[in-house]
Amino acid sequence: MIATLHALWQADSGFPSGSFAFSGGLEAFFAAAPQADGTTLAALLRDTLAQRWANSERVTLAAAYRAGTDLDAIARADAALEAATLVQPLRDGSRRNGAAFLAAHDRLGTQGVARLRAACRSGICLGHLAAMQGAVFAALGMDLATAIAAAGYAGAAAMVTAVVRLGRVGAIEGQRALASVLPLLADLAAAAPPHGALPEGFLPMLDIAAARHARSALRLFAT
Amino acid sequence: MTAARIGIGGPVGSGKTALIEALIPRLTANGINLAIITNDLVTREDAERIRRSGLIDPARVGAVEAGACPHTVIREDPTMNMVAGDEMEAKFPGLQLLIYESGGDNLASTFSLDLVDWWMFVIDVAGGDDIPRKRGPGVLRCDLLVVNKTDLAPHVGVNLPRMLDEARSVRGGRPVLATNCRTGDGVAEIAAAIDAAVLFRS
Repeated sequence: MIATLHALWQADSGFPSGSFAFSGGLEAFFAAAPQADGTTLAALLRDTLAQRWANSERVTLAAAYRAGTDLDAIARADAALEAATLVQPLRDGSRRNGAAFLAAHDRLGTQGVARLRAACRSGICLGHLAAMQGAVFAALGMDLATAIAAAGYAGAAAMVTAVVRLGRVGAIEGQRALASVLPLLADLAAAAPPHGALPEGFLPMLDIAAARHARSALRLFAT
Repeated sequence: MTAARIGIGGPVGSGKTALIEALIPRLTANGINLAIITNDLVTREDAERIRRSGLIDPARVGAVEAGACPHTVIREDPTMNMVAGDEMEAKFPGLQLLIYESGGDNLASTFSLDLVDWWMFVIDVAGGDDIPRKRGPGVLRCDLLVVNKTDLAPHVGVNLPRMLDEARSVRGGRPVLATNCRTGDGVAEIAAAIDAAVLFRS
């Protein structure tokens, strides 16, 4: 039961991980799509989970999780995600989000996190959120499926929160969109990525939106 | 990490950035090694304004996006600000003081004590002399309440002594200072308060 509670704790938007500051291209996407609504958000969530997260962040998380305390293996998983993330603002955002996530766990005294932060400061690790989640969730004693579910839910919920804050989708409509992808998330959590898989993700619409967002003088979110 | 961390919050337009600009020369003249992190809501205007002020090395001014929620970034989830502060300390060894400027907010804004050791809340007379009476958490809970733009009081129909008395009353006698950042009135007292509260030098 404690592993389940750890997963709820980490998936809760109340856990301070910095994720509230990132929209992953959604801010620019919705700015350019005046007709976009809750149905659009549900489709974006589904595409993000299936086309990007499943094959990139989820693969990275699993690799870092399986690495246990092997820092070199965590660093390899981390570096592979860096190489597979085409758009610089999303790479930077993922690292910044990972740094914020570690900052919270470091102050909480979570096992192994001081070592991870030191590795990031010294350049051994880059600190992508998915890699850091994999390492930390393993240390918290979650099984891999639960770790994937917690990270996927946290990421999807953060997307919904961003769009609600942008005022483009109501709170209830946002939760409807989130609920619509829970079965997909459950399937992704149940089927662990194969050992040795490399991350690859491609979602050109949000990638382009994120790239445009980085050049905007007016923006609420970091990505 | 050893630098003292202080916060400056308050409503939009109350003079937070102007106060920082007025404080920088006084703090640096006192030999304080400092850096600043702003939390602009939509732009990086406050960070750029301070960087271009000529008052401080631009590399000592950082900016953190508030994710459409200036409350969250200083209270519910201050981790982005924590990381920015940690990185600033790593970049400038010997840093003694980190100043976090909140994005303009309302009277409910408060700083997490996970992020800062001490914080002040800046309101201004033009916002109305009823602000202290409204007893917002920012007004009540800050370590120092600053009432800025005192020169405007006669022009906006504000009885400044009464406003200050009410501010001290709702705060149970905790510190309240009046400033005019354009002339520098009251700024030395704020610098001294920072010194006494977190740098322990006076």
